Order: sequence, then C-alpha cells, then structure tokens
Amino acid sequence: MPAGFRTLVCAAFVAWQAAAPSAPIQERLERVRAELYSRTDRLAENVTELKQILALDPRSADAHMLLGIAYSTWGSKELKGEAIGEFRQALDLNPRLVEVRFFLARLYLDLGRAGRAREELDAALAQTPGNPEFLALLGEAERQLKNPRRAIEVTRQALQADPSFAPARFYLALALLDASQRDEGIKEMEQVVRAGAPVADAYLALGSAYVEAGRTADAIATLSQGLRVDALRPELHIALARAYRSKGLLEKADAELMLGKPKRSAMSDSSDYPYQQVELDFYLERGMIKLQRGQLAAAAEAFKKVLEFEPAHEAATRELAEVNRRLRAKKPGGAR
Amino acid sequence: MLAALAGVPWTLAAQRGVPPAQSKGLPRAESRGPAPGASRIQFADVTARAGIGFVHKSGATPEKRMFETFGSGVAWIDYDNDGFQDLFFVNGVPGSPNALYHNNHDGTFTDVTARAGVEGSGAPGSPAAAAAKTGAAVGDFDNDGYLDLYVTALGPNTLYRNNHDGTFSDVTASAGVGGPPTEWSTSTGFLDFDRDGDLDLYVANYLDYRVADNPYCGQAKEGYRMYCHPTMFDGVADRLYRNEGNGTFTDISKQAGIANPAGKGLGVAFCDYDRDGWTDIYVANDTVRNFLYHNTGKGTFVDEAYRAAVGFDLNGRPQAGMGTDCADVDGPSTRQADNGLPEIFVTNFSEELNTLYENRGDGLFEDVSAKAGLGSGFLPLGFGTKLFDADNDGDLDIHVTNGHVIDNVTLYRPTLSYAQKDLLYENLGGGRFRDVTAEAGAALQATRVGRGLAVADFDNDGLLDVAISSLNQPAVLLRNTGARAGNWIMIRAKGRKSNAFGLGATVTIETSEGRQVREINNVASYLSSNDIRLHVGLGAAKIIQRIEVAWPGGTKQVLTNVAVNQILVIDEP
Repeated sequence: MPAGFRTLVCAAFVAWQAAAPSAPIQERLERVRAELYSRTDRLAENVTELKQILALDPRSADAHMLLGIAYSTWGSKELKGEAIGEFRQALDLNPRLVEVRFFLARLYLDLGRAGRAREELDAALAQTPGNPEFLALLGEAERQLKNPRRAIEVTRQALQADPSFAPARFYLALALLDASQRDEGIKEMEQVVRAGAPVADAYLALGSAYVEAGRTADAIATLSQGLRVDALRPELHIALARAYRSKGLLEKADAELMLGKPKRSAMSDSSDYPYQQVELDFYLERGMIKLQRGQLAAAAEAFKKVLEFEPAHEAATRELAEVNRRLRAKKPGGAR
Repeated sequence: MLAALAGVPWTLAAQRGVPPAQSKGLPRAESRGPAPGASRIQFADVTARAGIGFVHKSGATPEKRMFETFGSGVAWIDYDNDGFQDLFFVNGVPGSPNALYHNNHDGTFTDVTARAGVEGSGAPGSPAAAAAKTGAAVGDFDNDGYLDLYVTALGPNTLYRNNHDGTFSDVTASAGVGGPPTEWSTSTGFLDFDRDGDLDLYVANYLDYRVADNPYCGQAKEGYRMYCHPTMFDGVADRLYRNEGNGTFTDISKQAGIANPAGKGLGVAFCDYDRDGWTDIYVANDTVRNFLYHNTGKGTFVDEAYRAAVGFDLNGRPQAGMGTDCADVDGPSTRQADNGLPEIFVTNFSEELNTLYENRGDGLFEDVSAKAGLGSGFLPLGFGTKLFDADNDGDLDIHVTNGHVIDNVTLYRPTLSYAQKDLLYENLGGGRFRDVTAEAGAALQATRVGRGLAVADFDNDGLLDVAISSLNQPAVLLRNTGARAGNWIMIRAKGRKSNAFGLGATVTIETSEGRQVREINNVASYLSSNDIRLHVGLGAAKIIQRIEVAWPGGTKQVLTNVAVNQILVIDEP
C-alpha cells in the first residue's frame, strides 16, 4: 500500500472524528459511486468515505459493494481478500445486487479460482439471463477451467446479445486460440487490437499467436505496441524476445529478455502461480536464446532452472539434453 | 449470604469449605523469585513433573491440507468441583484422542481421558472420526453447578455434558449444536448474551475449506509446497446458539446479526466494552477485517468495527488476526490513563504488529500497539494470548505464544522461522509494556509452534500459570514462579438467578491502590478457555475496601473490607 494512502486514511479519520459530514448517506453513496466508476485518482478518499458511511450504517449493502469495488481497483493482493469479504457481505445483505456477483467473479478469476467464478456467474445469469457481461466473463471462466468449447459458445452468445461488446470478443479470441483454432483466434483478436483496447493481454495473446504462426514481423509490431500500453509487463518483454529470436535477432532478443526478468520480492508474490509461470517462461526463453547463441553453460543453467519449477517440463528436458549432447561433443573424444 | 456478612474479612476455607489457597505438597524445586537482573515475572516448565504427557498431532502431510497448520486449543476446567483446575487438551488430526488431566492438588495431574469419555476420536466411519478437532469452550450450560465442555472441529462439533461423577456424555445431537458436518469451527465460548440466566454459545468459523479440493500453493519446486493464503478460500459466517433452557439450543445467527459470510474467524473474546451491561463479542478474523459485535440488549448485535475503528490496523489494512483478548490494561484507575474500560488485544501474522486497541470511552478505539511498547511482536506470528496479572502488581501483563503457519517458511524467507519463542510483556503501568521474555526464565527461551494458550492458577497459590498447546509437539505447562509484587484475590462466582458460574458479571474492586473493573469471563486467546474464576492482582493493598459485583441477572452486590490472598466464593444473593 502506498505510504500516501496510509497518511490519507489516518488524516481522513481524524478529520471525520472531529466533525462528521452531515450529507445524507444515500447522497454520499451516489457521489462515491460516480467517482469509483469514472476515475481512480480518489480511491483513498473513497475508501475513507465508505468506511465512514459504514460506521453510520454497518448494514448498507451498497456501501459494502462500493468498498469492495474500491479495494478491487486498488489491486493489491492483501485487499483482494477484503474486497471479496465486502462483496459477500453486500450480497448477504441484499441478494438482488446481482452486479456484485460479476465483481466477485472477476476477483475469483484473478485469484485463479475459476470454479468459484463460474458459480457466481451462473447465479447471476439465473437472475438476469442473457446478460452479455456475465456471459463474456463466464466464457473466460470456462476457458480457465479448460473448457474452450463451452467458452466459445457462451462468448458467442454474449456477442449475439451485444456485437460491440469488446471484452466478449477478447475472451472469444482467447478461447479460440486455446481450442487450437489459431487463425480464427487471430482474426478476432485483431479486431480487439484494432479497436484500440487498452488491454496489454490482447497484444500479448495476438503477438504470441503471430509467433506461433511464423508471422514474426507482425508479432514484433504488436508486442511493441503492447509495451506502449503497459511497459511493466514482463510477459510482453519475454514474448517480444521470443519474436526477435525467431527472426534470428539474438542480441536484441537477449537484451529484450533482460527487461522482462521477474523481480522476486515478498514470499506471497513469489509463491503466486502467475509469478511462477512468468519466471518459468523467462528461464525457458533465456535457455533458448543462449542455446542459439552457443552459450551452452548459460543455456544449461537456464533449463535447469525451468526444471526446478517443473521437473517434467517437456521442452526444457529436451533442450537440456541437446545442450548436454553438444557439451559432450565439444569435449575431446566426447562425441561418438 | 455474602451481602449480609459484608464487612467481615473473608477467609476462604472457613466460609465455603473449598480447598486451601495453595496445594499441599507442591514441589518447590523452582526457586521463587527472579535471579539478579531478571524480571520479577518468572515461569518454569513443569510439564514433565506434573505428569502432562499430551502430544498434539496435526496429521501433517505433503498435501498441506489447511487444517494441519492451525493447531488445537487447551482448556482449564474444574470438572469435579474440587477447587482445583483440571486441564483439557484438544487433539488435531482426525481420530486422535483429546486428553483430560485431573489435578491431584500436589502439582501433578492424572490422565483421566478414557474414564471421562472425552476422547472425541469418534466411532470408526462416523463424521466425528473424520473431524479435525480445534477449539474448546468451558461453561455450565445446564446450570447444574458442573462445568460442561464444547469441542469444535473442521467437521461436527461436540457438546459434552458433565455427569457429576467424573464422566461426560455426548449430548450434541439433543442439544442441536453440532453444526454442519463440513464447517470449520475454531474459537468458541459460552456467554449469556440475553441475560436470561443460561449460557448461550458462540462459535467462530474460519474457511469454506474442503479437504478434497485443496489447491496447490507455493512454488512448484519439490519441497516448496506451502499452506495456501486464506484468500484462496471464502469465509464462513459464525454461529450463535441461544440456550432454550431445556437442554436444547437454537441457531439464531442470522436473526442476531452475527452471520457475516465475510468472516474468517480464528479468535473470539467477550467483554462489555461500553459497560452498558450487555456482553459484546470481538472476533479476530484472518486477513479480513475484525468484527466488534455490539450487543443491543434486544437479542441482536450490530457490527461496530467501522465506527469503533477496531477492524483494521493503523494504516487501514486488514490484518491476519489469530488470538484475541479484551480487558482493561491501563488500570487501576488511580492512573491517569485509565477509564476502567476494556482494551482489545489481537495477535497477528508475522510482519504485522500484534494490535492493542485502546478504548477511548467514546465508542472509539485507538491502535496504540507501537507506542504501548509491543514492537517486538512484529516478526513472530502470534496465536494464543492472554491479558493477565502475572506478578499481582495490579495491572495486566500479556503472554503470546508464537509459531509460523508455513512449516517450510525458511525456504522462502530465511529470516523467519517455523518454531518461535513466546512473548511476555510486563505492564509497566498505564498500558505501557516492556518485553521481558528474555528475563523470564529458561522456559520462555524455548521455541515452539505455539497455538492454543490458556491461563489458570492450577496450584491455587495466587499466581496465574500458563498451559500451551503446540502444533505436533508436546504440550507445555508453565508454572508461575515469579516474585509476587503484590497481593491478590481469586473470585469464584456462584450465580443463582444468573448463570451458575457468573459468566458476564462485572466486578469492581477498590483498594488503596485504586479501582479495577474486570469481568468474569473465561473466553479469550485462540481455541482455548481459561480459569473460570476471576483473578485480580492487588499490588500493595492489604485489604479490599469494596467489591461490587454486577451480576448478569441484574443484581448488584457489594462486599466491604475483604481480606486479600484468598479464593473467595461469592454467591449471588
């Protein structure tokens, strides 16, 4: 949590204790709601305001929901749990707040709990059948649950309900790529990217699909564009390094990859699955680049690192064997 | 009866025929009082000498099932009313036996588990046999003058009714307090929330966790699998069972307003934080905000955590609450800081301070953890805890037992450790503390994976002792061998209109040292239950000028000129 947030929270509480705002609760809730839906630069103030409202009315389902939204937007892992708690309390107090199920599902997906996300979305769709937002997110839940066919089906239903709904197209594209319908997936994802969606994942998925399809120039352009959307995403650097390598630009690939080196920090971060996947992808790509550059010791080290994470990793096992073969061949009398 | 005799100095044995204040033949191998340079608070490990052989079994597996790491509790219960506290340990892994030790009055205990019928292993194939047992509550739910026992679990909970002959009967089904068979219940306690004279039951619930659906957490390297962060699971609403006075209970959680599904409850403490005469409930939740349920006096509770500022830390962040207690730590009232109202203390995760919320008296609390001198609690991961007067100087000290939840934590954080030392804080007066762990004797230099902790004066010598249940380790009994800094009194309340042990009564003690306001309440810590008698350190006071008991039934009773250093039985008029 940024230090500024702490200060703001404390200061706001002191101010509140001195003189509680007198505006009616509903009016205050509407003001916070408008801010939360339109801007993110007043999150700390919104959290404080919602806590004050809950101090006055602990059973305000709307306040619990909005606090959940504020915590989700904040994005830190420690507040995700609290956000889920607020959403669940909001639903308990007012089961008709169907949008809460959508927010809950999104958080569950963030946490890799696709099964729980599906439960919430099924419940939401039972309340509001055909809602494109719920259908689109359900598609993503199904994809994460390794049901790409079902994911394609429900995201198409979402697009039928609202053909301009970009998230549905994005999730459809992901599902198509997962279902090995690469060309169709690329087409759908190109539409998303062309529409200028500020979603780094769209560029990442499309760029990676281009690499798979051998369209390295397109991949480099798309991934570079993605880095303009989010320069801090290590996955984009790793994918771009792979694209450079595929084109034989090994030095460039090496330099790009180093920009994507995951930073190990707290225990919770390093134990998160997404973090581990990035770390694994980083070392695999590093091994590949080093192997192609003939730096066999470095390549071996990188592949071993991958195998530490996933002892049965097929590509790393295969490539390490290749490295070892070459190392043996280099020794006098080593290769026969 | 006592009211009529007010003014007479009370001596224990003469009036009520309860045992003398100190056990006979108690071993004295430990020297009384501190070595030069040490704290006057001293504890000695007397586990082996006392004959306590209980070893907790967690059932740890490479699958890192969540329940394996949260341990079990310990409870003091004078089940045979002989005036000496007996000791009950909850065991963890399904099928493992609990243990009940009878206090022999000479510093030793005898294992009476099998005879008492509280093993709790469950018949093969029964849901109870598959239950991982967690916490324990002690209270006389049927007001027959004998203490009963409630044991919680990941699985069905169990209510044991005391048969008055050293045995217990499982009356869970007829009482209706078993809870759903998959629920993970943790800390629990009896309270008379509606002041109708019988004890109701609060049960904290933790996670919606299914053993069969146990995700992989931690790095995917061999040996690196770890117990998952609680965010990987939903919380479960707590339960409140209302005692119907006929041996049955009704689940009124929803209507009472305590069924919040956001909760991930691990610790529970009861106290009347605003002194309106109604017992309130504080729940320490793991990684989500804590709850402060204010008792409206109309059969309902309102969560005042936001209003009272006791849900989060100083920075507005939820913490990983584990154990908790609630009592006035800045008393006695001659001290300027004291308002006679209870503070709230919560033990938290590693790299979070244990939190002391100071009761400001206007419905608001202030997080004073750092300025109260509790900074050394930052690295350890705290579980069981109790606020009690360890040296009888008239203010409440703090004991915390610690131990990480991640058994391979050093792989991730070499600076942290799984087994940890306890923490002991001496109250310097006014709620300012000093960490005296290093000076409090060899017993506190040992590391353990501490979980449950409960306090009682097991040898009736006027100094409170400590029992600790450690994960997958032998239990520990710590005898208080410190130098008494003052006199004391122990009050055993006997309710007539109120519940039989006076739980929820507010006791105000006035001496030359000031005024102390305390509550009769054995519920605090983590998964554990403490001496049901109220112990009060009196400092240099030679006589208690006035004792006022506000019984939960509504009666106010006053005793004057009461002698110190005795176990005083007070009958509700």
